[in-house]
Amino acid sequence: MRRSISKRINNFLNSFSNLNLAILVIVGLLCLFGMLSIYSASLNMEGSFFEKIIGRQLIWLVLSGLVAATIYFLQKKLIYDSAYILYLLGFCLLLLPYFLGSSVAGTARWITFGSAGFQPSEFMKILVMLAIARFLASTSSSNLDFKFVLIPTLLSLIPMAVVLKQPDLGTSIIYFGMLFPMLYWAGARLFHLFIIIAPILSIITAFNFYTFFIWVIIVVIILYLTKEKLRVSLTVMLINLSLGFTTPFLWNSLKPYQQQRILTLFNVNADPQGTGYQVLQSKIAIGSGGLFGKGIARGTQTHLKFLPEQHTDFIFSVIGEEYGFIGVLVVLLLFLAFILICINIAYRQKDRFCSLCMIGIASIIGIHVVINVAMTVGLMPVTGLPLPFISYGGSFLMTCFILVGLALNIGIDKQY
Amino acid sequence: MYISHNSITNIRKNILTIFFVLVFLVLIGRLYYLQIIKGPSYKGIAEANRVRVIPIEAPRGIIYDRNGKIIVDNKSQYDINVIPYEFSHTARTDSILAKILGLDVAEINSRIKNNWRGQFVPIKIAEDVNVEIITNIEEHRLDLPGVVYSVKPVRSYPSGVQMSQSLGYVREISANDLIREKYKEYKQGDLIGWKGIERQYEHILKGTRGYNFIQVDALGREIGQVVDRDNIPPIPGNEMFLAIDLDLQIYIESLTEGYKAGIVVLDADNGEILAIVSKPDYDPALFAGVISNSSWNALISDPDLPMFNRATQGTYSPGSTFKLIAVLTALETKAVDPDWSVRCYGQYRLGHRIFKCWQERGHGSMNMYEAIVHSCNVYFYNLIRRLDLNDWANMGKDFKFGSETGVDLYGESAGVMPDVDFLNRKYGEHGWTDGNKLNLVIGQGDILVTPVQMARFCAALATRGKLVQPHVGLKYIDRGSNETIIFKAAKDSIQNISVDTWEFIEKAMADVINRGTGRAARVKDVPVLGKTGTAQNPHGDAHAWFIGYMEEQNQTIATAVLVEHGKSGGGIAAQIAGQIFNFIHQQKKRQSLANNAPLNF
Repeated sequence: MRRSISKRINNFLNSFSNLNLAILVIVGLLCLFGMLSIYSASLNMEGSFFEKIIGRQLIWLVLSGLVAATIYFLQKKLIYDSAYILYLLGFCLLLLPYFLGSSVAGTARWITFGSAGFQPSEFMKILVMLAIARFLASTSSSNLDFKFVLIPTLLSLIPMAVVLKQPDLGTSIIYFGMLFPMLYWAGARLFHLFIIIAPILSIITAFNFYTFFIWVIIVVIILYLTKEKLRVSLTVMLINLSLGFTTPFLWNSLKPYQQQRILTLFNVNADPQGTGYQVLQSKIAIGSGGLFGKGIARGTQTHLKFLPEQHTDFIFSVIGEEYGFIGVLVVLLLFLAFILICINIAYRQKDRFCSLCMIGIASIIGIHVVINVAMTVGLMPVTGLPLPFISYGGSFLMTCFILVGLALNIGIDKQY
Repeated sequence: MYISHNSITNIRKNILTIFFVLVFLVLIGRLYYLQIIKGPSYKGIAEANRVRVIPIEAPRGIIYDRNGKIIVDNKSQYDINVIPYEFSHTARTDSILAKILGLDVAEINSRIKNNWRGQFVPIKIAEDVNVEIITNIEEHRLDLPGVVYSVKPVRSYPSGVQMSQSLGYVREISANDLIREKYKEYKQGDLIGWKGIERQYEHILKGTRGYNFIQVDALGREIGQVVDRDNIPPIPGNEMFLAIDLDLQIYIESLTEGYKAGIVVLDADNGEILAIVSKPDYDPALFAGVISNSSWNALISDPDLPMFNRATQGTYSPGSTFKLIAVLTALETKAVDPDWSVRCYGQYRLGHRIFKCWQERGHGSMNMYEAIVHSCNVYFYNLIRRLDLNDWANMGKDFKFGSETGVDLYGESAGVMPDVDFLNRKYGEHGWTDGNKLNLVIGQGDILVTPVQMARFCAALATRGKLVQPHVGLKYIDRGSNETIIFKAAKDSIQNISVDTWEFIEKAMADVINRGTGRAARVKDVPVLGKTGTAQNPHGDAHAWFIGYMEEQNQTIATAVLVEHGKSGGGIAAQIAGQIFNFIHQQKKRQSLANNAPLNF
């Protein structure tokens, strides 16, 4: 009995590959950065430690760690089997706020239990990933037919539509964004991915004649180069052209409040003090950090509240201001390392489902980081996505830790 | 057991890896641009974001008289401000505040609304309130949260002296001055001396503004002092001393109350102006804070021109005082002998025109000496016909008539000293006759002088030709080096007038006072020398002139008194001059008594 226990412990430690250890260290360091930045951002807040966001974040961190540990010990088979059921359950929870009518700041994102609230759309990110992975695991990578591409697309588009309605552009981008690396990993043809993404670009470019004109030329070139069947090419061309031409008319036929509703999606009006205030202050904070930064809790932009949303979506600018270029470089390299390790694990994985899950995890974390950082440095419009492991927010931290738990679980190449 | 086998190709893995690396490189590149390349400029912006610079006005330099008595001081002006964030806008607080300030509730609300610059930025709702209001506000401290007062230094005039036009006033800099190179360090809204001493010595009197650096947050809320930057305290302006004798100044002002007059009293040897009065004047304290529109409009629309400095800016015909120029010309060019006589029948006929003497029954036989003492016009009508007009004009120019005296008061007039060229230009070469000369010789017609020019002329007579630059400013104490810096006044003199001529004129001027037209200026125990003048003018009664000087305790004091519409120089003007001389005499007597007192006891 005693021998078997020590053997198990030994087995467990052995099963902990170097890569898994690296993931743990990376996540630990990122959380440390996060706690320091949240501490800094919450210095001027009143209340006792656990009333402050720093205290609450710490509680969430402990809870998330426990959940991640639980996930780590789950049977892979169980995860695989319950993927669709969880997806359906998650989808129902996603719809629930509409019926409960609970909303924060006019958006139906939260489900509240007493004083605590959580966002089902956060956890749905994992469930969409699992469902897509499960579906693609049943296909063969050698020749992925278009119909096998279509179903994962629907799996992501349906919850995406619900989340867009909330409105939460950031989260819907995650649902849609993770689709492409996963399809690509599963062996989808690039042309098929192009067919999925083309209509969206057609709609976006249609608002300006010249951008649309350039886009159409690009579509034609791509269709010519891929040498698809004429029937397919014509259909793709026709769909995109008709979308492009009807969009402006559809837009103009919308009532102003409907247009407004769509515009709020892109957070055009989420700007409290005039166009670009947030981004400008964020750029000032990051830029003024210089090479070495101003030091822990010494960022003037942060302390004097010039930065709105400094503890959530704009936490990266706190790091930029207080730790400088060195600090942000370390953070970005940690994230990149995390992503590359995930891709590496996925490559080594013998099981297709696990491999696809790893790519899904890498994509979710990667897209969050890229969009969040690009937004804080003024490269992308403000969409409202937090920075994994660092931003304040319970549901999101939990989501990230579940992903880490999954990654560690799958990282061990054990049998189902 | 595996669900299905993973068969990913190496290429797909590498492409995905490269994709993520590239995207991250773009982000890192952007951060490099923001933090390393643009870092310094963003540092500056962040700094400006957090620091609010609060200017602290410096008091201007205190102005003393020659004996160290305060002429212009500074006092604190209290303004009432409201900080919107802390101010509770209830009917109760509104009515308390309105009652204390004596304003409508609606007026207060509209001032708050119109000057709103943020939740935490104080709004001025009342300006220059008295101390009682401040005490009242302090008593209601608990009822009026967010109502605070601020203090700034403004001018005050504790002695009650007016001297308004010569002291000048302080006001916000004008748009015209703002663009001038001289005032390039001034910003809109800065205070600057506008007239008189305040303008002339702006660079000496001006204090250096101080700054407090307050840390603010994004809402403009004050967090406290900026840690790494010290406040810069304001530096008051330099203390300045004027040549003015404050007692004399106040005495003359009280003496001339109700008249329209311009009076200059100066030390004949060095040009120090002991008193300079222009009546009517105004209370300089009107400008102490921000002058109200109604006061300003009343001042500038007053037909008696209280803001006009009659002593330096007013130009008048000098009247008979100017006969001395003709005497000097005649004696120096030897055109006539002093004994050359003329019989005065009270009038003089030139062609069809009759020129009158002021004494209608005539003075009888007049030589030059008596003509001065009795101010006989007919004598001078005859005299000028024997003089070359340009000789006469040059004598006037030698005494610097027709050009500014250089007095240190902004906006001085130069007056007019006509000569042949001038008359030719004005009337055409044949457009003027000896009639013009007759007018000019008795100080009428085209000739115009200012009281300060006449005072200098008088000083030159008193000192046998010293031409001083009259000046009010004496010295200042440089705040940096603590050195006393004395202003230099230009000096000149007329050399070519013989001692005989001077003696002749001095005797005549003494007799003007003793038994002539200037008897009203006589002072017991002290010899006074002078000359009266009565300048006809088309607007009413003649202007009264008196120039004269006295010498006591090695000081020669010259004065020029002009009283608009004072009827005759021998009357009111000489009287005022006499009182001035008497005052100075009494002052000196007291002083010497005080100096000798210890010896007597």
